[in-house]
Amino acid sequence: MALLKYESQVREPLVNGDKTYQQVTEDICRPVEAAPSRLWWIGFIISVALLIFGAVSLYVEVVYGTGMWNLNKTIGWGWDITNFVWWVGIGHAGTLISAILLLFRQGWRTGVNRAAEAMTIFAVMCAGQFPVWHMGRVWMAFFVLPYPNSRGPLWVNFNSPLLWDVFAISTYFTVSLLFWYSGLIPDLATLRDRAKKKWAKKFYGVSAFGWTGSTKHWQRHESLSLVLAGLSTPLVLSVHTIVSFDFATSVIPGWHTTIFPPYFVAGAIFSGFAMVQTLMLVLRKVYALEDYITVSHIENMNKVIVLTGSIVGCAYLTELFMAWYGASKYEYDVFFKYRIAGPYGWSYWLMMTCNVITPQLFWSKKLRRNIAFTFLMSIVVNVGMWFERFVIIVSSLYRDYLPSSWSVYYRPTIWEVGFYLGSFGLFFTCFFLFSKYFPVIAIAEIKHVLKRSGESYKDKMDSIEKQTVDEFAHDAHH
Amino acid sequence: MSKKKYWQSFGELNNTQQFQDNSANEFKEELPFEFGDSSSKTPRRDFLKYLGFSTAAATLAASCEMPVKKSIPFLNKPADIVPGVANYYATSFVLDGDVVPVLAKVRDGRPIKIEGNELGFTKGGTSQRVQASVLSLYDTARLRFPMEKVGGSFKEAPTYEALDNKIKAALKDLGSKKIAILTSTLNSPSVAAVVDQFKAKYSFAQHVNYDAVSYSGLIQANDASYAIKGIPSYHFDNANVIVSFGADFLGSWLSPVEFAKQYASKRKVTSTNTVMSRHFQFESMYSMTGASADERFTHRPSELGVVLLNLYARLGGTVSAPAISDARLKSGIDAAATELKNAGGNALVVCGSNDVNIQILVNAINTIIGANGKTINYGTLVNYRKGIDAEFEQLLADMSAGNVGAVLVYGANPFYTYADTKKLSEAWKKVTVSVSFNDAEDETAEQCQYLLPAPHFLEIWGDAEPKTGYTTFIQPTIHPLFKTRAFGTSLLKWSDSSDADYETYYKSYWTNKLGGQTAFDQALRDGVINPPAPAVAGATFNSAALSTAVAGIKAPGNSAYELVVYQKVSIGDGKMANNPWLQEMPDPITRASWDNYAVISTAAAKEFFPDLNMDQYEVEPPKPVIKLKVGNKEVELPVLIIPGTQKNTIAVAVGYGRSEKVGLAAKGAGKNVYHLVANNGRNYDYNGIAVSVEKTANQYPIAQMQTHASYGDRHEVVKETSLPIFKKDPKVIINERLAELKDYGGLENFEAEGTIYPVFDKPGIKWGMNIDLNTCNGCGACVVACSAENNVSVVGKNQVGKYHDMHWLRIDRYFSGDPENPDVVFQPMLCQHCDNAPCENVCPVAATNHSSEGLNQMTYNRCIGTRYCANNCPYKVRRFNWHDWNGADSFKDNQKAIVESGRLNEVTVQMNDELTRMVLNPDVTVRSRGVIEKCSFCVQRLQEGKLNAKKDSRPLIDSDVKTACQQACPTNAIVFGNVNDKESVIRKVRTKEEEGSQRTFYVLEQIHVLPNVSYMAKVRNTERTVGNHEEAHEEAHTEKEKAGHH
Repeated sequence: MALLKYESQVREPLVNGDKTYQQVTEDICRPVEAAPSRLWWIGFIISVALLIFGAVSLYVEVVYGTGMWNLNKTIGWGWDITNFVWWVGIGHAGTLISAILLLFRQGWRTGVNRAAEAMTIFAVMCAGQFPVWHMGRVWMAFFVLPYPNSRGPLWVNFNSPLLWDVFAISTYFTVSLLFWYSGLIPDLATLRDRAKKKWAKKFYGVSAFGWTGSTKHWQRHESLSLVLAGLSTPLVLSVHTIVSFDFATSVIPGWHTTIFPPYFVAGAIFSGFAMVQTLMLVLRKVYALEDYITVSHIENMNKVIVLTGSIVGCAYLTELFMAWYGASKYEYDVFFKYRIAGPYGWSYWLMMTCNVITPQLFWSKKLRRNIAFTFLMSIVVNVGMWFERFVIIVSSLYRDYLPSSWSVYYRPTIWEVGFYLGSFGLFFTCFFLFSKYFPVIAIAEIKHVLKRSGESYKDKMDSIEKQTVDEFAHDAHH
Repeated sequence: MSKKKYWQSFGELNNTQQFQDNSANEFKEELPFEFGDSSSKTPRRDFLKYLGFSTAAATLAASCEMPVKKSIPFLNKPADIVPGVANYYATSFVLDGDVVPVLAKVRDGRPIKIEGNELGFTKGGTSQRVQASVLSLYDTARLRFPMEKVGGSFKEAPTYEALDNKIKAALKDLGSKKIAILTSTLNSPSVAAVVDQFKAKYSFAQHVNYDAVSYSGLIQANDASYAIKGIPSYHFDNANVIVSFGADFLGSWLSPVEFAKQYASKRKVTSTNTVMSRHFQFESMYSMTGASADERFTHRPSELGVVLLNLYARLGGTVSAPAISDARLKSGIDAAATELKNAGGNALVVCGSNDVNIQILVNAINTIIGANGKTINYGTLVNYRKGIDAEFEQLLADMSAGNVGAVLVYGANPFYTYADTKKLSEAWKKVTVSVSFNDAEDETAEQCQYLLPAPHFLEIWGDAEPKTGYTTFIQPTIHPLFKTRAFGTSLLKWSDSSDADYETYYKSYWTNKLGGQTAFDQALRDGVINPPAPAVAGATFNSAALSTAVAGIKAPGNSAYELVVYQKVSIGDGKMANNPWLQEMPDPITRASWDNYAVISTAAAKEFFPDLNMDQYEVEPPKPVIKLKVGNKEVELPVLIIPGTQKNTIAVAVGYGRSEKVGLAAKGAGKNVYHLVANNGRNYDYNGIAVSVEKTANQYPIAQMQTHASYGDRHEVVKETSLPIFKKDPKVIINERLAELKDYGGLENFEAEGTIYPVFDKPGIKWGMNIDLNTCNGCGACVVACSAENNVSVVGKNQVGKYHDMHWLRIDRYFSGDPENPDVVFQPMLCQHCDNAPCENVCPVAATNHSSEGLNQMTYNRCIGTRYCANNCPYKVRRFNWHDWNGADSFKDNQKAIVESGRLNEVTVQMNDELTRMVLNPDVTVRSRGVIEKCSFCVQRLQEGKLNAKKDSRPLIDSDVKTACQQACPTNAIVFGNVNDKESVIRKVRTKEEEGSQRTFYVLEQIHVLPNVSYMAKVRNTERTVGNHEEAHEEAHTEKEKAGHH
């Protein structure tokens, strides 16, 4: 006789360890309230050092000229724009998790959304550095802003994809920041209420915007989240589409192609999830949050990675096919002579290996749930995605229409590399500060998916379940 | 006037005391602040005034550094000088024996540009060196005052008089010892007369012409063959068949500007005029002239004599010619012989060798084909080169024997150019008095006792006789910048002449000769006096000379490698090595600047470097270094692999490796190879010197402006065909274009149907340019002219190596055809001023946009430097200011650190010297760091032309505007004008068949950027396959040939 079974056993719990609400708050607030660990200090100091090196690299470039980089008359963009596209792409995972998964009611997002959103903001901040500082006259960068000015009837050029970038990136940054911060407010109030130190009370008090947890507050908070999710959702698709227009609208063979928007968006989500993995795997270990960021979270994200990686792979093959099938011999040459072969052939094959071939290993469930392997893959994917942008930018430019202009071999100078390392410095400095002063997991939201009351009820029911129907009927009768 | 009073109140009417008090004290209540306190220095009401003033003053003081500009207006304005309006003076470029009549453009007292003088024998053509010479005027390394060597180092001499007295006394003390006047070829009649006067005073004086690169063999051969000790005039315009044996007559041989113009006159092929000269080039290395040739054959350098013997024998000469094993070469000789025979005298054979025997053989060939009197004119000799090797050797012998007491050096630089420096310095030690008149402390001046620098040609009076009967004049265009003195003045002073100086002497010389001041004034205005067109006269060949010559021709050498020492088109013999524009100008064939190197063939490369990955070799500037050994002399040079080089040949250029004192541009550029030049006992020999080669482990970076060699199958970039095909089907080029555009409206409707966007009318002026690839010979005069006109920055070797060169106009070089014996096409490439410009729509700040006249214009002060436009330019003509080239940056003094770190060469800083900056064209903005720049079609000239037409109230005509490149071109390959003007030449060349419209094409036309620069396809007079004309004849393109549409 079957037991009175009313619970599905298929889904894994979103939070392990049978936590109470109190435990959740304690677990997540602990890193914020405790003194930073030794590991945190080491990481933070390295990040700040990188940031300073980046600042020095930029100083050198701004004072002595863009010639301090190894770009040239044929290759006008190299590491700078590669890094820009790479960082923008990374940001996309955060927005996807916070917005699209919210709309799709994916409960598992709550474990990772806070940190992923923070990653988005910091990644966009890093990305924004590159198109600004790569300008020859960065002190005139404000020329890209359309505002009434005293320079005669001068206006920006709305035809230029670079201008679209200005709008796309600034919108993206603003919306992401609002989304992230509005989600933080209830948690900030929690921290405020728990704070014992004077400055902490003040700091969290001000940041919490007077949150009391009233029903009205919650109602407005939920509505705002939905509205912002609605605003962010198209941004996930549009921002990288516009970034891809930088290339797609040009005449350069290898850039001038209509496949770029979807291909770039898929690539962005691909690399973004890889970056989320890198960060989360470290975070859960260091802050002992294994119960909240579970293997099932990791597996979910690996599924996204294998899907988007395969989409990207299809895009690569489509590009090759079109280059062969299409009528442009310039495009054919770029792909078949100078990309998969030629002096930069190695970078193409590195990209192919990292982005298309190795992620296929995630079809194996065992590997998807293997933390060490996931960590390795997350790095591999990001290396691959960096090279994707490098391949698109450099290997298209270096051999374009006129063979007379084909470039000498481009390799970066220490200052180009320094700028890139500096962006890591900026990213991790911000991320370390974030992880120290803010809850890295959305306390309020994780409580939504905790199912605590259900679990207690279930405990009560366990004894009843063990009874047979007859015993139950008997007991109920009395 | 009414005394009626108007009042407002009784108080006012009655003017009571209370009313008076009230009106004095406007506010009835006590105000809470001091009012009208006279003790306060700053009253309240003035507060805002003071605030405003002090803020403004502080802002001004803090932010605007006001440079002190010392500009002084004319007190009495000279009648012919209008500030801001250029004057042109006819003068002559004279460098050693080279003469080109020119016009110097003088703006506000400064010569800033050189143009060709159309009245001269060069018919307005110029060369890269002529164009660059204006920069040499402002060379910081020029000597600024007379100097005397005291205790091993040079000290400034107080006055010329003091030195005059010393030198005169010293010359008197020499007794019967010789005084040698050692000059580079001197072809000034008045200076020659001064020298004669000096010789009359000092009976032991002797004048020796000594040329850096000798043509002695040619002169001596003519002497032996025709008893004419000189060089005849050549008429390439009369020659239907031209056979050149290693003579780079379009680039560096004798008078390239003149020859280029003549040569081009036979190369302008149209569908209605298909007469074209046929040019054979036999050589060992790939010369610029070889690139223009219809048929080019290579031979071992030392095989030249045998090749000539074979040709002579084939032409019916009675000589026994050793067999030639190379089938291709043999067929070439046969073909050349046949053509020469059939040309009926309208043929010309020239040879670049300095071997007397070989030149006699060439004379014999020219005689047998009847060229004498048709294409070779012995009636008008030329005076470009006069040096006889034996005379200099004799002088050296005399010096060694102690028979020479004094050497006066003017223009010559034997310590740099003579092969055996040791022998020379031994001899030099025996000379008591040595004076240098050279303008810098060059290698020879360094060895002299006295330095009396002569002025630059733009600073003095002078004359030249480049050809018998042709005179060109030199007049000063600026007051001498330094304490310099003309060579003639010194000689006149020392010979106690009645004329105070050379200027006086010169003026009386010419007024006497021309019969009065008026004639002299006219001559100065024209700059030239040409004789009435002289008859072309031949000379009788002395066949006795031939047999000795034939006997003297050596068998080809058998060493694995032989050296060819050549002159680069840009640097030449090295006299102008300190000219940054010339150093930066890339060699037409190798596309390398700032260095010399060993040019080797692909076969030799395979032997030396079997593992060389050509793909990687091409893109990496550091090249492997080899060591060349000639006897006990050796030099280490990097290699450049140039297809079309004969496999046993290694070619190196002279003119590099100058002494540091010659200047910052020359410093460190290449190595001197004059010491490798052989002396065959009679002449200095530049060809076929046996050399042994050793590999080294070193690498050395070469700064090339182009790395890739061929255009592959990209016929949309370069179109070429052969004359027979073009004759048969004059539409061959048009059809090729049609095939590319057939799906997009064809030629007629391509503009409208190739796009989804609307097409706009283009009324008014529409500027356009056309470049004829058939007459462009790659010389690069336009490149330097463009730099001079548009203040294009010099970036130096290290930056060129980084592909950071700034040239607005470059000449692309493409190899095509058989990799062993490729053809070369030159394609001048500049901003195409596309009507549908890809650069314009990608600029986020609209810094580059289109003018209503079809110009693609750059707004430098709007540019923020994203470089997107440069990326999106299919022609890659946009140039970015990677560093502060001009010392005009927002960041002060930021050049020093990058110079010290070795990224930027010192020469860039030299270009910013106050002196050097005087060459800048004030009509063109100097670009700052961080902005893009590019060809503007010389918009400043267009504006000037339009204004001139407007002032005259007439429509603009062709002669109103000429771009700098167009004006400089010696072959008139560039045509520019208003396409909307039905009378304009540009309109005609694009639309009229007789002007060549059938050859017109646009580069990358199919991508629909609608360029405003058209090209005329190259046509080679050959039966070989050229370009893709075979394919063009096929009915349909096969699958594999992709039309390249987007």
